[in-house]
Amino acid sequence: MPKLPEKKVGIVACSGEELAEGTVTRLAALRVLEELRPRDTVTICLPLFLAGGEGDRAFARFYPTIAVDGCELRCAARATEKYSGKPAASIVVTDVVDEAGLDQPKGLRHLNEASLQAVEATAHHMAFMVDDLLGKRWSRRQGAFLDDQIPVEAEDSSRTATCACGSGIPIQSVAVNGEQVTLIALPVLFEQFQEVGKPPTPEIARELLEQVKIYNQVPEELEAVYLDVLRQEYANFCIEKEPVK
Amino acid sequence: MNQHKKVVIVPCSGIGKTYGTVSREAAYEVIEDLRAEQAQLVALSLLVLGDDDARSAVGQYPAIAIDGCKLACASKMVEESGGHVVQEYAVLDVYRRYRQFKPRGIAELNEGGQKLAHALAEEVAASVDELLAGEGGQDA
Repeated sequence: MPKLPEKKVGIVACSGEELAEGTVTRLAALRVLEELRPRDTVTICLPLFLAGGEGDRAFARFYPTIAVDGCELRCAARATEKYSGKPAASIVVTDVVDEAGLDQPKGLRHLNEASLQAVEATAHHMAFMVDDLLGKRWSRRQGAFLDDQIPVEAEDSSRTATCACGSGIPIQSVAVNGEQVTLIALPVLFEQFQEVGKPPTPEIARELLEQVKIYNQVPEELEAVYLDVLRQEYANFCIEKEPVK
Repeated sequence: MNQHKKVVIVPCSGIGKTYGTVSREAAYEVIEDLRAEQAQLVALSLLVLGDDDARSAVGQYPAIAIDGCKLACASKMVEESGGHVVQEYAVLDVYRRYRQFKPRGIAELNEGGQKLAHALAEEVAASVDELLAGEGGQDA
């Protein structure tokens, strides 16, 4: 059965190539993605909100997202909100540096000691934000989540950042009252329902709507319209998927 | 060579793949070492946000985009921002020309990645020279 991507936290780094703090965002994000919280995080390149497809733009509507910015321009936070969805949390390296009383980061390619400290401080700040967003409790003493059943050794040993770019969140556009609305996860939900033999009835449409509401905002006053739309779209999906006899 | 003209370098800002790091490392080498006076780096994040200075730079000067993957964010964003990409490099294509330099690592490139970035930087620097020579010729 097809599965929806498991709940993870999206990391969007500004990556500002012209500032040392931009390099700090990149390395801090990687530290979280590869080492501190590899199973719980995924990233996307900021430019994909414009250069990518609708699935890429759905990123921050699908994942609770942390925007990590190098400076007060806050490109990552503002662009994420503008083109995708409001970040669940945001962090600015200059704030972290001030709060921790660190020296000014310097260097683009070769970071100075202060920059490396800023990377560590920013990364750990982000890791706690991830835990917070996922409702997990991290034990510093044990080096593991208190309620985690999966031992740390079982984590991905390849230490590769999970990159969402181009993979796209599954989406489908439907017409609601004459307007095109993009619904996140709908194609996968259809597949799941069809695979277990659920027919396109009004009752099943209600069930579908409840699933759709997990990933999308459905205005209460439009629920009846959505029910009709989902039933019809799901019926079309089932017809298309019917084996040719 | 025309001293007033510059070339804008826009590398990929991806953090999920090795090729993004190669693109950045090459861009840094060009603007810091090889053509510090002639080349200017513009960050993709600023273009995404529509920053006036960044848009002005890509609008004013010819741009070289270095893309880390086929999604070509750098090239697309320059064009979307009103700029003109006069030379586009795709790191994967560059790697095909230098297969002896196999890049690994994202936060830190291996030796192969560093050599590939250097080879790419040399090509970009040559493109900068050609572009500015052309600009100088046109102005004169």
